[in-house]
This record gives sequence, structure tokens and C-alpha cells, in this order.
Amino acid sequence: MHFKIRPAKKEDCKEISRLIMELAVYEKMPDQVKIAHEVLVFSMSYNCLTPDPQFHCSTSVELERDGFCENPFFQCLVAEVPEEHKSKEGFTVVGYALYFYTYSTWKGRSIFLEDLYVMPEFRGNGIGKGLLCKVAEVGKKKECVRLQLSVLDWNTPSRDFYAAKGAQDLTVSEGWHAIRFDGQSLDNLANEAAKI
Amino acid sequence: MDFSIRAANVEDCKDIARMIVELADYEKVTDHVKITQRDLEQDGFSKNPFFHGIIAEVPEQLRTKDGHTKVGYALYFYSYSSWAGRAIYMEDLYVMPEFRGKGIGKALMSKVAQLGLAAGCNQLNFTVLDWNKSSRDFYMSQGCCDVTTSMGYHCMRCEGEALQHLAQP
Repeated sequence: MHFKIRPAKKEDCKEISRLIMELAVYEKMPDQVKIAHEVLVFSMSYNCLTPDPQFHCSTSVELERDGFCENPFFQCLVAEVPEEHKSKEGFTVVGYALYFYTYSTWKGRSIFLEDLYVMPEFRGNGIGKGLLCKVAEVGKKKECVRLQLSVLDWNTPSRDFYAAKGAQDLTVSEGWHAIRFDGQSLDNLANEAAKI
Repeated sequence: MDFSIRAANVEDCKDIARMIVELADYEKVTDHVKITQRDLEQDGFSKNPFFHGIIAEVPEQLRTKDGHTKVGYALYFYSYSSWAGRAIYMEDLYVMPEFRGKGIGKALMSKVAQLGLAAGCNQLNFTVLDWNKSSRDFYMSQGCCDVTTSMGYHCMRCEGEALQHLAQP
């Protein structure tokens, strides 16, 4: 199947937010998705920011603000098919990769692949691999020496896909655990800084 | 103990490089460190920095036997979650052994959280090794969540030949 991979433009944010929602459904986070879908529809209808940051997927407004500003929080690539191959709903933007630059104090510049997604009806055509390789190429041009990502333990197709490309699972091999503060725990932690 | 937390500047890179090696020793991987002081200066203090740093400093009268007053650091950068939006990632958190137990580690981490909230971030993320019980206990006591255990996230990496191969046009 013919497709092309290109950097996302501001105008792609509506499509990207649609694909983000589809990825959330695929990653089976039903509560967040249920609330997010309503909030997403509300936000896109009224073109405003989501009222509760704890339960949402990034809307096109937030993606525009955070990805296309002077110091963007992320970069994005989209995969596009020609009109004659558009999806049954009429979409030609059928996949995306969202990434940002990170740093390893051992090895230096790195790139983190936050999201990689291809619509189900377009899988098996090399689009996912194309997106992944393009992110690696972008990283190489910026002299990044690592590409990192995270994957859910039950997601066997994705784990196999990345393993086949030479990715190591550091949680299994080295014991790394991902830790997070958000919501109230993040607020509490930040409030402690005022006491210093 | 009297200490202060401030933003790192380019002159701090020598001490940051020293403490990076100390942290690698603690994590039992000293020979993995390829970063030099010059790399830190270029990558952290140019127009589009790859990271930001904060330093914990003690007054002269509390300096170490080697004469160091910079006794801890945290290194962080901004990241993104397509679900939660802006996020902050803490790559390193380190306090020299003789200065532990005084609230410096907590102060550094709190400052990163505060900076993150000020920048509109909704998450603070980082990683910890499963055998590192004292660090894990410290983080859990601050109210964080282990998303590897609770949600099944695995950290993956491509580097060296595998990355070169992927990056072929």
C-alpha cells in the first residue's frame, strides 16, 4: 500500500487527537476513555481546554498549544494514504508517532517515542515500522544515541514488534520500574518546596 | 542542616559530572558513563537545552573533606503524555552519602514538582531500579505510584547497532 510519512502540521491536530483516542481505546483504559470521549467532544465543540486535566486525552487545542509553540513539548509525524485508499469514514491520516527529546546522564541525547499508532485496517503494510524508523532517523540527525519507549506487559503484538527491531526490555533485564506522581500526590509534593 | 536549592548554571557542570559518576557508582554501573563535563555544558546550557538542573548547596563551613559545597542535584526535562498533557521527567536525583537524611533529596524532588506545576505539567515521571529499596521506600513514602507494578508498563530501549539499523533511510 502506498503511504507517506511527514512531520505533522498544526492543521493535523484534529486528526491526531482522533488517533490518540483510538490508541487509548486499544490500550484499554475504559474509565479514562469514557470521560475523555465526552470531554473531547465537549472541548472540540466549544474549542476550549478540558476542565479536568486528570481525565482526558489531549484535545486538538492542547496539541496545537503544546506541539507548535516556540519550545514545543513534543514533535509528531503522521502517516498519510492517498485519497483512493482512505478509511471507510474518509480519513487519509491513518497513523502517527509522537516523540520528544530526553537526556541520559550516562550516554547523552536520547529520543523518547511516547505514542505509535496505526489504524487497524491499515496495519500489516509497514506503516508502523515506517513511523518507528523515521523517529530513529530524526533522532540520529540530532545525535541521539538512544530511542526509548514503554509498552504494556499484556501487549504481545507490540512487544514482539519492538523486540524484532532490537529493543531491549529494561524492566525484565535490569529491573527498571516507571514511577509517577500526578493529581493530589503531585500537588502535595510541590507544596513541600515552599517550605524550603 | 542549612542548605539551599537553586537552578544550575554552566559553571556547575564540573560538579554535576562528578556527582553523575558517584550516582553511577551507587547504581553499580560506573563504566556506563560516557558523558563529559563538556557534553553537559553543550547539551544543558545552549539555546534548546536537552535538560535542566537544580543544585543543592551547603555553606562553606559544612563543605566535604574534598572541599565540595555542591552536595546534590536533580536533572529534569519536559515531556508529554497524549492522555495527561504536559509532564516533567526527573532523570537523576542524587545526594552525596554524608548529606543524606537531612531532607535534601526531598527538597530537590519537591522543587522539580513545583517547577513542573508552574509549567503546567500534570505528571512527574521517573524510573527506579527494583533492587534499590531505600530509594523505592523514599518515593513511595511521598505518595507516588509504581506504574510498572500497577499498570504493567515496561521500559524499552533501542541503542547501538539496533538503533543504527532502525535509522537507515
